[in-house]
Amino acid sequence: MIDWISIPLVGLPLVSSLVLLAFVASADGAARERLGSSIRMVSLVISLAMLGLTTMMFFAQNNSSMYEALGLDKALDWTGLGFGSFNFEFRYVWIEALGIHWSVGIDALSFPMVWLTTFLLPVTIIATWNEKHASTYFPLILMMGGALIGVFVALDLFMFYVFWELTLIPMFFLILKWGGKDRKYASQKFFIYTFTASVVMLLGLVTLYFLQPDQALSYSGSWTGRTFDIPTLTAHAQQGNAGGAWFLGESMQKILFVMLMLGFLVKLPSVPFHTWLPDAHVQAPTGGSMLLAGVMLKMGAYGMFRLPLAFFPHAAEHFQFWLLALGMISLVWGAIVCLGQTNLKKMVAYSSVSHMGVILIGIATMQPLGWAAALFMMFAHGIISPMLFAVCGAFKHHYHSMEIGAMRGMAKHSPWLATSMMFAWMASLGLPLLAGFVAELMMFLALWHFLAANDWSVLWMVGPALVLALTAAYYLWSMQRTIFEGGEETQPPASLNGQPVPDIADSEKFAMIILAVFTILFGVMPWIALDMMNGWTVAFFETLLIPILGGA
Amino acid sequence: METMQPFGEGFATALAPEIVLVIGMFTLMIVPNMGDAKFRIPLTQIRIPWFFGGKRGTLDSDPRLPGVFASMFFVIAFLLAALSYVNGMNVTMIETESGYDLLLVNEFSRIFELIFYGALALASIASINRIPATSRKDRSALGLYNNRRQVDFYILLMTTGLGMSIVALSQDLFLLFIGLELASFSTYVLVSFMKETKEGTEAGMKYFIVGSVASGVGLYGLSLLYLWSGSLQFTELTLAFAENGMEPLPLIALGMLLVGFGFKVSAAPFHFAAPDAYAGATSPVAGVLATASKAMGVIGLLRILLVVASPEATDGAAVWLIALAVLSVVTMTWGNLAALGSTNPKRMLAYSSVAHAGYMLAAITAIGALNWEPEHINASNDAALAVVTALIFHLVVLVCFKLGAFLVLSILENEKGGHTLASLGGLAKREPLLAATMFIFMMSLAGVPPLSGFVSKLLVIMGIVKVALVDVTVNGNLTFSDIHWVWYLALLMVINSAISVFYYLRVGLVMFFHEPEAGREGPLPAGRSVRFAILACLLTTLYFGVGAGQLISLCESAANALVGAW
Repeated sequence: MIDWISIPLVGLPLVSSLVLLAFVASADGAARERLGSSIRMVSLVISLAMLGLTTMMFFAQNNSSMYEALGLDKALDWTGLGFGSFNFEFRYVWIEALGIHWSVGIDALSFPMVWLTTFLLPVTIIATWNEKHASTYFPLILMMGGALIGVFVALDLFMFYVFWELTLIPMFFLILKWGGKDRKYASQKFFIYTFTASVVMLLGLVTLYFLQPDQALSYSGSWTGRTFDIPTLTAHAQQGNAGGAWFLGESMQKILFVMLMLGFLVKLPSVPFHTWLPDAHVQAPTGGSMLLAGVMLKMGAYGMFRLPLAFFPHAAEHFQFWLLALGMISLVWGAIVCLGQTNLKKMVAYSSVSHMGVILIGIATMQPLGWAAALFMMFAHGIISPMLFAVCGAFKHHYHSMEIGAMRGMAKHSPWLATSMMFAWMASLGLPLLAGFVAELMMFLALWHFLAANDWSVLWMVGPALVLALTAAYYLWSMQRTIFEGGEETQPPASLNGQPVPDIADSEKFAMIILAVFTILFGVMPWIALDMMNGWTVAFFETLLIPILGGA
Repeated sequence: METMQPFGEGFATALAPEIVLVIGMFTLMIVPNMGDAKFRIPLTQIRIPWFFGGKRGTLDSDPRLPGVFASMFFVIAFLLAALSYVNGMNVTMIETESGYDLLLVNEFSRIFELIFYGALALASIASINRIPATSRKDRSALGLYNNRRQVDFYILLMTTGLGMSIVALSQDLFLLFIGLELASFSTYVLVSFMKETKEGTEAGMKYFIVGSVASGVGLYGLSLLYLWSGSLQFTELTLAFAENGMEPLPLIALGMLLVGFGFKVSAAPFHFAAPDAYAGATSPVAGVLATASKAMGVIGLLRILLVVASPEATDGAAVWLIALAVLSVVTMTWGNLAALGSTNPKRMLAYSSVAHAGYMLAAITAIGALNWEPEHINASNDAALAVVTALIFHLVVLVCFKLGAFLVLSILENEKGGHTLASLGGLAKREPLLAATMFIFMMSLAGVPPLSGFVSKLLVIMGIVKVALVDVTVNGNLTFSDIHWVWYLALLMVINSAISVFYYLRVGLVMFFHEPEAGREGPLPAGRSVRFAILACLLTTLYFGVGAGQLISLCESAANALVGAW
């Protein structure tokens, strides 16, 4: 097997972005502007190459020419990979004394996320083709992509944490340099909020590290005798949890679970830790928002599956009520706040909070179906929310305002933007045959099943039912105000100063079409992604959760 | 281990770096004074060229000359110290005829010498060509101080280095104190080197008064200790402490010594002079104070707390455990909160160095919490090793990014900036690479991966957590209260580093977001040597972050030399 991850997927974007930035930094102002278009092209080519590679990985499931091109002698099996095994698993010693390895691998949990990242990179580049300061903007987007993929492929806690924090830096600069009026406040809040939660998580990880027995675990450090290796730790925790025992003891497990979950809940974000998100989104440039909502939020959910849920299933069961409650509050509260928003982007940001609530509910049900719903929601939201933000960005770009109602009768004079907006809004509110619907439906089923099986009150269903109505309400309301209202006599916003109203640019149209096509694709044929997610979930439950917790 | 007497056989090899520094001092004194003077043989008319004095040539009156020489000697000393690692460490004890231990050359002292010489070499490279004259009288060509005055600066840097290496080498408390004072007195003068400016004088005065009071208290403690045990040898003191260390006299002495060294590492509440001193001194000197001088203080603390009042002597907890824990909590919190409010970047860095001192004190506290009963001794040794390694690693990488940050400020200082955050404004427009470098230094200080500052913070946290969990047996009824309370020091450290992100980020924000101040739109002052030094800092900051493995094993061998000698 060839290591297709370390260099092509992680190293290439990071290093090329640094090289490009260093190159740009040594050029003077005028030369920098000239360089912009070629740097954009280089970034696009690199991101397309990465997308090509991950797409080949997907088709290597059954297409012999694909897996032979990847240097494999048999087809990759994403669906039946089983729990704890990985494709393209590679390991290099990093800091030997502490048991730190550069260790990468992709399983069916991380593969959709990796593909999604590589998919969103070129789409983001295309959608924000005319962004100003192109010579520094596009390398930062590339760096963001490299760091995000690093988080998803890392199989070593140290490496995971390094990439986890590394994602903050390009995003900080994207918000700071290309953001709106309050970008200074928003970028700092974003950085400090997530950093604080992450360091608490780090302390939890270090404590977990030293709570391992000081014995010859595989890949352990020569000096500490412990390992940061995630599969090894998972296997070890699995033993410790077996037979009803609590790995590390009951109170310890609970505390560590809370410490790790804090980092992930802030990133997700879940109410009450969500306040950084609307600020960051409103101020962030379109490209930053697309990646932030599309992939970066998913890091939180991904991390939950990878670490605390695998290490501490007893604690997860113990805190099930709280997880469910948090998810429910995020879902409902996000939707209610959406109703009150006058700012288009802020509304979309709060709708993200609401959708993240769906993920959390899915996780909290502790049902294979619920987890698969959460996984599919991560994926579907990763395609739909960039489209939402691309629409917001185009809106802002052309009408110089984000206020709902600043622009009316869009259907008349900007048919492309109006159509994209309508499509994205419909996808986000869960229209059948679009990707979001599948995830929401699955979550409903899982929640019903869970409530019925465990004799919990049916009143829990009130939340999701209410949210269905609320979501439809705020989306339809905003659509009606911007697209249709105004009738024959449209009202161009005052900020346009009487100039004719333009429609979106060709590159934006192209990005919208791509996103729309994939939204439909995964709505009509969800099994493309759902099969492997389901395979991973079932394997997780069969090998890890059911033997430990019992029942189904 | 080899033993030898002062000036005995092999003495020059063992102390080669120090001897280079002494040679360097004399060279610096002589070379700029060489001229065309001739010596007339009495009763004759024959004049022999004698070179000392007279009219100087163009070469030896060049104001850059002392800086070049000093940097060269520091680099040679650094390389010699590094070479002894490469060639396999030759552990050497230098003792008097009657068998008193004086200086010990081992991995521990060598790595600290590397820290000192590295920091001083960078500071001196960064100062070449860059000590601006403030009064017309001293001005030479290039707008720099006359090189006779420049020489003073570099000679003082060298005596600082010499004093610091004595501290690292000494095996006797009195000798340690002499080294400490040699270094301290040199730094008092260095801080007030810009004696024509109000800030320089004020800083020097404050630093001197507070510093000498702290030294005086420390010295008094030293004399009490001598009164009590009759010797200041570390080995003897350790034995005496093990026997009856709980008597009031040595405890009072210990407390007083803690004050003396606490000032050096700028631990609260002995840190009050530090922000003023850093702000008034030239930036390279402030950088040395924040890195090398702090490392020197840490040696003092390690020697006093771990070697002399060794925790092994008592059961489970060292006598100083609570005191040091309180000190560390106060120091890190105070430092961070004060840094939040400072708008002068040098004061901000000074407070951040107070906060870092707090982290280091927390690490030392953790060692005091170890249980040294026979059945635990192996695990405790391991844990102590981890903590000391983390400490040394932290001190090494501090030279890279903290000194680097000060050097960046020193470029601004040349255009009379660097004293307000606003003067950093628009740095990203004026010199993007420098702004990016400064941002990397800030992120490293905050502990953001994958930079070396993150690794050092992680190592310290790991060390503390390891200590906290050393007695814990993992079984079903493990509860949180089984964990030693030093774990909360790690928690506090984590919270503090989250607070610290705020003021580090603010620097980045100003550099990338604000417009340059009026009058600062143009390019930054030139200075190839200082940029070279900054580049060296940048590369090491990155390298020790990504490839920390080698440095960790180096620090481990150094820590082993200290821990093994308990």
